[in-house]
Amino acid sequence: MEILRIEGLSKIFGSGRLEVRALEEINLSVSAGDLVALLGPSGSGKTTMLLCTSLILEPTQGKIVFDGQTIFQKNGWSGGVDIRRLRREKMGFIFQAHSLIPFLTARQNVQFPLSLVGINGDVAQRRVMELLEYMEIADRADYLPALLSGGEQQRVAIARALANNPRLILADEPTASLDTVRGKKVMELLKKIAKENQSAVIVVTHDVRMIEGFDRVFHLKDGRLNNTH
Amino acid sequence: MDLAVYDLKLHRGRFIATVIGVGLLFTIVLAMNGLYRGNIYEGLAVINAINPDLWVVERFRGGPFNEQSTMPEYYHYSVKAVPGVEQASPFIYYTVERRIGQESRHFSIVGYDIVSGLGGPQQIQAGRGLQQAHYEMVAHPKLGVRLGEKVPLGLHTYTLVGLTKEAVDTNGDPLVYLSLPDAQEVLYQKDNEEIRNQRTRLSRSLALQNSLSPLAADKLLPSLQPDTHIINAILVRLKPGANRAEAARHIEDWLYFSTYTTQQETQLMLKGRLAGMTKQLMLFRILLMIISVVIISLVIYTFTMEKIRSIAVMKLIGAPNRVIVRLVMEQSLLLTITAFGFALVLINQTYHLFPKTILLVPEDEIITFIVVLFGGILASILGIAQALRTQPAMALGGQ
Repeated sequence: MEILRIEGLSKIFGSGRLEVRALEEINLSVSAGDLVALLGPSGSGKTTMLLCTSLILEPTQGKIVFDGQTIFQKNGWSGGVDIRRLRREKMGFIFQAHSLIPFLTARQNVQFPLSLVGINGDVAQRRVMELLEYMEIADRADYLPALLSGGEQQRVAIARALANNPRLILADEPTASLDTVRGKKVMELLKKIAKENQSAVIVVTHDVRMIEGFDRVFHLKDGRLNNTH
Repeated sequence: MDLAVYDLKLHRGRFIATVIGVGLLFTIVLAMNGLYRGNIYEGLAVINAINPDLWVVERFRGGPFNEQSTMPEYYHYSVKAVPGVEQASPFIYYTVERRIGQESRHFSIVGYDIVSGLGGPQQIQAGRGLQQAHYEMVAHPKLGVRLGEKVPLGLHTYTLVGLTKEAVDTNGDPLVYLSLPDAQEVLYQKDNEEIRNQRTRLSRSLALQNSLSPLAADKLLPSLQPDTHIINAILVRLKPGANRAEAARHIEDWLYFSTYTTQQETQLMLKGRLAGMTKQLMLFRILLMIISVVIISLVIYTFTMEKIRSIAVMKLIGAPNRVIVRLVMEQSLLLTITAFGFALVLINQTYHLFPKTILLVPEDEIITFIVVLFGGILASILGIAQALRTQPAMALGGQ
């Protein structure tokens, strides 16, 4: 089942002599359970691609269809679509380091997206503990992020991204602040999530060592996307 | 999920320090409120305590408290003869600085007719009122004199026979009640050396008059001494059912004095002597409130800026604006309300330590709380604006 379809997507910053073509004619289709890697050096357009896919940055042209609903067309964002609601109900985000809210414990960080969709009380608590146990970090539930290691923080961040059973998980350099061993563990978790939860997972990274076992790998270079396998 | 409380829990130390700082500012605001009320209360206390039907003063003068007014004592007989007047009592009031024990004290003396009682203390807290025509005094406990203690004032020594808390003078200093002749003596009576000098000066002046024999000059001398039977006002009590306006008009037209009701006397003070200080205190209150709001704004702005990445993460996750607005505004209100509570407790525990009277009125506290609450909401606007401007892209390292 197709989760995300991007057709002819371009993003141009500035105009005239200052014009920068960050993304050009990007085509991408991701289905449920797909594990997709986006590789590319700095300045290749990875972050711009992620911002457009997260529905934060408005593309200049192209089309984005998410979960069967056209979100963006030539003329701009489709009317009547609550983008923030889409993000909180159907997307999960995992970032580099320091993405947890520092004044909330691990448990509260995972609970936060649930509270945004109106899930509170015992139901929320059960779901939070289920996710923390799945991430093997339940024993640290009541710790503040500052008291967790980088790997533990990233596992809490993944638990938070999974809280609302998202259709699409977007991960931005999730292993950037981790050593190789911990980085590989995080990637293994993402593979497991893609297969078990049937969520589409797009991982943006510059580290080729981390993409072993991915279904598809794309290379971004000068705003253009090349499918390598 | 109460994000504001969780954040403040993490920064507990800084929150408490800010509450103390802002709370102290609010304490000054509340103290200023009390000082404002106290200033008016003290300024009007003696007028309200005496409260005659009419104050008769020197023509075109706003006396006896707002402006000096002098008149011969015997005029009270003329006032007494006005239709509708039941009592007309001479009254004198002046401020002195004298040594009481080992200290120099600033206080005011009230001289009144102890027979009519008008102008004298109505409620005695300890001891009794004045009963003898001379050498007794009643005073406010602030004077620091004990019952039965003897106090030298001018040429004589006075025994404290009673204490009254009824009123203080217009500056908040204690009042001392004396019989009218005693009060006149303390004010006007010179010491013996000065009397001799004055007599000698007069004798020399008369000796230069060729028309006067030395014997006639000596006879004339006592009548040329300065008159000490001077008063500041006549207090009038009207007969039941008498027309106040008519009595006042009669006194003004036929005796050439000015008359005021107690309410008019109060207005004279409010628009005269008390006006400057009252405006000054009002200005201080407004300035302090503005300073408090600015400080809370800066604190909340700093709190918000420190959380800006977390706010970006929340927005990226899909948190609606109301969650972000609530986070910032709730912190601002928590800070404001806690600081106000701290200020309220502090001022209620310490108001009696201030040298001037701090009169705490619940209405003032409620109004200040509403203003403070509004200030807290206003203070959060800067932080909210910054939070709402934050792009979720910041969480991903974008703009």
